[in-house]
Amino acid sequence: MGSDVASVRKPGGGKGADAGATFWGRLVRWGPYSALLSLIFTSPRRQFVILAAFPILWVLTQHLGPMLQMLRVSLTDSYPVAQGTDTQFTLDNYVRFFGDRIFWMPFFRTLTFAAVFTLTTLIITYPVAYFLARHVSRKNQLLMLLLLLIPFWVGEIVRTYAIMILLGNNGAVNLALRSLGLIDRPIPFMYTSFSMGVGIVYLTALYMLLPLYSALEKLPKSYTEAAADLGAGAWTRFRRVTLPLSLEGISSGCILVFLISTGFYATPVLLGGPSTTVFAETIAGFFHVAGDEWPTGAAFATIMFVAALLLTGIFQKLMNALRKGDTR
Amino acid sequence: MTKLIMNRRRFIGTTAVGAAALASPAYLRRANAQGSGEVNIWTYNQFVPDAFKEQFEADTGIKVNVRLVDDQGKQFNLLAAEAPNPTVDIVTVAGHRFLQFIDSELLAPMDTGRLSNWGNINPTFSESDWATINGNKWGAPILSGMEVLSYNTDFVSAEEAQTWDTLFSEKYANQTAYIIQDMMSIVMLMMGYDGNMVAYMDDPDKAAEIVEEAKAFLIEKKPLVRKYYDSGAEVQQMFVNQDIVLGHSWNGPAAALINDGFPLGMSIPQEGSYGFVYTLNVANNAPNADNAYTFLDAILASAEIGASMTKASGFISTYKDSSQYLTELERKSTSFPEEQLANLQFFRAEANQMKYGLVDPAVEAIKAA
Amino acid sequence: MTRGTRIFLSCIYWAFVLYVFVPLILMVVMGFKDSKFIGFPIRSWTLDWYLGVFEDAEVVSVFVYSVAIAVFSTLISVIVGTWIAVLLEGRKFWGRAAVFGLTILPALVPGIISAIAFRIYARLLGIEPGMFAIIWAHAVHNVPFVALVVMARLSTLPKSQTEAARDLGADPLVAFMRITLPYLVPAIMGASIFCLLLSFDDFVRSFFLGSYEPTLPVLIFAMLRSGMSPEINAIATVALVLTAVLGVWAERYMRRMNKETGR
Repeated sequence: MGSDVASVRKPGGGKGADAGATFWGRLVRWGPYSALLSLIFTSPRRQFVILAAFPILWVLTQHLGPMLQMLRVSLTDSYPVAQGTDTQFTLDNYVRFFGDRIFWMPFFRTLTFAAVFTLTTLIITYPVAYFLARHVSRKNQLLMLLLLLIPFWVGEIVRTYAIMILLGNNGAVNLALRSLGLIDRPIPFMYTSFSMGVGIVYLTALYMLLPLYSALEKLPKSYTEAAADLGAGAWTRFRRVTLPLSLEGISSGCILVFLISTGFYATPVLLGGPSTTVFAETIAGFFHVAGDEWPTGAAFATIMFVAALLLTGIFQKLMNALRKGDTR
Repeated sequence: MTKLIMNRRRFIGTTAVGAAALASPAYLRRANAQGSGEVNIWTYNQFVPDAFKEQFEADTGIKVNVRLVDDQGKQFNLLAAEAPNPTVDIVTVAGHRFLQFIDSELLAPMDTGRLSNWGNINPTFSESDWATINGNKWGAPILSGMEVLSYNTDFVSAEEAQTWDTLFSEKYANQTAYIIQDMMSIVMLMMGYDGNMVAYMDDPDKAAEIVEEAKAFLIEKKPLVRKYYDSGAEVQQMFVNQDIVLGHSWNGPAAALINDGFPLGMSIPQEGSYGFVYTLNVANNAPNADNAYTFLDAILASAEIGASMTKASGFISTYKDSSQYLTELERKSTSFPEEQLANLQFFRAEANQMKYGLVDPAVEAIKAA
Repeated sequence: MTRGTRIFLSCIYWAFVLYVFVPLILMVVMGFKDSKFIGFPIRSWTLDWYLGVFEDAEVVSVFVYSVAIAVFSTLISVIVGTWIAVLLEGRKFWGRAAVFGLTILPALVPGIISAIAFRIYARLLGIEPGMFAIIWAHAVHNVPFVALVVMARLSTLPKSQTEAARDLGADPLVAFMRITLPYLVPAIMGASIFCLLLSFDDFVRSFFLGSYEPTLPVLIFAMLRSGMSPEINAIATVALVLTAVLGVWAERYMRRMNKETGR
């Protein structure tokens, strides 16, 4: 049944309206099609089952499957299993996390970093999204948004090395400052939380920009105009009208960015310093360095994931309360 | 475009084989794959010279499929995920990582009798103590690396580079970098212990004490280091960007910088250091084991092949007489004075389980400190 | 709005453009450096790295391979993601929250974890590593982004429109095809660009699920072993230009098709 819908979709999407009109007309009048439809659409219940079957099957087998497999690994004592041995189920891998502060440190650091970088990204991209959505003519909006997306086509690694030669002691910024006579010895930008931030915001900006832009773009201009008529100043208009109405975009952008930032690996490793080790590095260590520690790595990943989900859940509750408070 | 079509064909082929594989016993599948005249290799970029590869394919009709890897751990994970019936025939394992692969039954013992050119390898490497485990040879050594102290010669003198202490001196505060895992072994050596920990195999308490001491030292010196790094490309970039002026590194990446004309020097400091060897190994249950041996014998055939590996990687060839094919600069960047080489010993794997059981948490602790 | 705010905001926008473009410009410039390592100072210049990209048959075929993977995985993600969005948006049913949670799950799992999970699961399903496995993993990983974007757009669709179509005698399927789907086109386009980008840039899943043919990021990672050479910058630049050209061509092509059919 599912494949019928998919195959019908193609000609409709590709050909366009004119061809479509005759196509759809013919289709509707075509005997087997209407017979099939009357079979499907007789009851809303049957209709729903047909609509829901494929997605539910997909998320269960494709989305949940790999993660359950991971969860299973996190509960075993060894993986991959050497031939001729047995695996035992155990909670030790989880216990190990709580037993040692060398694991909590990067864990809490990661959560803190993720929060700080989320806020930074929000502060940086909000005015950009606002400008695009409210001050740029509709014709140019897409173009100027696409302009911002171009650099994201460049792979993470190549981009990260470009940031190194931008911020290095002998990098572009230091060379420029020196030739202007502003400094006589280079400023060590690299391998600090600053250089890490420069790289991370690059990765997160896109995820923040798009929800913010779509939230702000939906907001009717008449609202702020009405507020202006009522004598509200620019700042008041922003604070009382624009900001509350874009809260939805802010919260979905923040949640997405926060969750994604907890999993960053390559950029923090390459741009961070000795004191910025993140939890993803700890987790990756169990997969890269030692061979038989997949279960611990899997357990730690589960812990990180659950913690991040809990925090975003709390955040969402707060945002919802905030939004309700505003409309009251 | 033709390449894509070929890929697709190969892809259809592999899925078909994959489907058949689920239904057919392992020996049948092996016989199947063997007929296809291929050899599948996992190795580092430019370890298998292109010219050699083409020549080999032309001479034998065996197609060489190279899959590039960038890290020993990832290679292990991949192989572990494919075991016990891997798609690969030859992998590239560092000698001191042998045990991990052998314990998981991922490598097949090497039948050196099938390699007529085995004798072309310098016995320093082929007959070294680490090369024989459980009474078997496990790989054909191709390139050798070592942990060295690299320094920018514009800022650091050769005398200063004679000791690891310089790496921890106030003078070069925040201008140094090292790989912590490797540095742990070196610090143990600096302190007069056996960094391979083979000497403490019967005395785990002593071993723990030593690791603790090395860990405390590195934590104490943490304010002085600019960066704990992982890959050769990182340390090269830090030197070029002048973010560091000296650091611990492997000789390969440092040699590549020297060959490019960068003012870099290398030394094996007086406290000593460790060397390691990249070897080509036949995977356990390799689908084309015969072709793998044909390939290995061919790649060991001439010193010129060894030299071209050195040119590309900066690591030192294990082949006899390969240096005659190198330029003056390349020879300089891949050789050390006798008195420095005397300080060098190989990494050993015997105590690895105990060693890394202690060192890995210590590394995490240093990073977290 | 006052002129002052407007100028201030446009300054911020262009400062942001500068921030995202400076590393890009450095990347392009370093591709001309006559040395094996990127970085300052540049003592002499060369075209060899860029010319080398076109002479290297491997790079070209790897590029084609990566684009093919990106396109196929995006197609799957878009179909599945849209379907899920249609199911979830504006419908209340038992277990909706769970389905929604499961939908976004793959987007939230850290890269290496998801890669290894996919690898183990692929083995369980009997999927051999290779192009198909990569497409599968990318498609699954990208579904959440499509679903989220399409759901956001769907929530703004006036109900009256589909109802009007139904009143005019269109069955739900035709109503979906003629009303809902066209309304979703901007969201689907945006999501597709995003998916293409994620797939094209993915290293860790491609590495674990790939076979002997590398994707572009996998090739770059392997090349990085022997140093960050200007060659890598040249490859990345050429790939960027080629994808941009492909993108513009696809956009033009679709616009022309739409015009011809009078939309």
